[in-house]
Amino acid sequence: MGFRDGFSLPAFMVTASMLGYGAMVHSAGMSLPIAIVSTMGIWGLPGQVAFIEYVLLGAPIASMMIAVSLANMRFLPMSLSFVPLFRGSKSGWRWRYLWVQLMSVNTWVGLMRRVPELEPDQRGPFYAGFSTVCMIAGVGGVSIGYLMAETLPFFVTVTLVFVNPIYFAFVFAAMRVRACLLAFGAGAVCGPLIYLLTPEWSLPISGVIAGTVGYFADQLLKRVRG
Amino acid sequence: MSTVAGNVSALGPWALLFMAIAVTYLWRGLGTVIAARIDPESRFLQWIACVAYGLLAALISRIVFLPVGILEKTELVDRLGASIFGFVVFYLFKKHIGLGTLSAAGALMLLVWARGQGIL
Repeated sequence: MGFRDGFSLPAFMVTASMLGYGAMVHSAGMSLPIAIVSTMGIWGLPGQVAFIEYVLLGAPIASMMIAVSLANMRFLPMSLSFVPLFRGSKSGWRWRYLWVQLMSVNTWVGLMRRVPELEPDQRGPFYAGFSTVCMIAGVGGVSIGYLMAETLPFFVTVTLVFVNPIYFAFVFAAMRVRACLLAFGAGAVCGPLIYLLTPEWSLPISGVIAGTVGYFADQLLKRVRG
Repeated sequence: MSTVAGNVSALGPWALLFMAIAVTYLWRGLGTVIAARIDPESRFLQWIACVAYGLLAALISRIVFLPVGILEKTELVDRLGASIFGFVVFYLFKKHIGLGTLSAAGALMLLVWARGQGIL
């Protein structure tokens, strides 16, 4: 079942957005192995994009590490809510440090969706199949995107690069958590502005400002509306 | 293997990449270690999630307004127009992520192609 679930929209979206990432790595002038290893190793598109952009910018290493880790910080709350799902199963629990490496927004949602109908012992095998398909789709997408980037006309390549950020804009805009939505809006406004002030440090600074604004704006709205 | 950008040394990207992978796994591993010990509903974690989303929004918005790399060669009005068109479709179809993405990407492709052909 995990395999079958993998072959639906999640795998398609992974392939499409990783096509864009492959083209992006190519346009950045980096090698195919870098594209593949960064995909499997970071396995989180915003962090991957931050990594490439920072290498392009030639920014300080400390700033890049903060940006990449902050861009992937969502993995902390995600794994916090995800890992306990395997607690009821000995074999599932044993592999938990591998499961979190295979975790992306796609595979996290994919498992959460199926949890009510899966026994704890079935979750490990389901998740292994599902996330393997997504990983293969991702690596395939990246390789194809990278290799095609050389032969494709400019308007196609540029669109593939554009698919990445815009896909995430919609994934996040579809969220139902108000605090996160508010933070997302605040970040969209202050991101480019802070970038004009300090390109290298703009992401961590924008994240903290927008996150704090979003968090407290949500608290305020709760109080006002009761 | 392929072209290497002028400002990036041959060894540089690999060292940076493994550091990036390590700091990413830090969050995954940390979450796994403390999953048993912390309340997932805690205020601190909610704030952390907000910071993460704010940062991702800043990244996306910067890529649309002030891109680095190949997107730099496209017009701001095209990127912005395509994004707005995508959002209109997205909200018209009850926040359909796939349709929104396809519309925005399709619109940008059309605009960039039209400019290449000298139509715009």
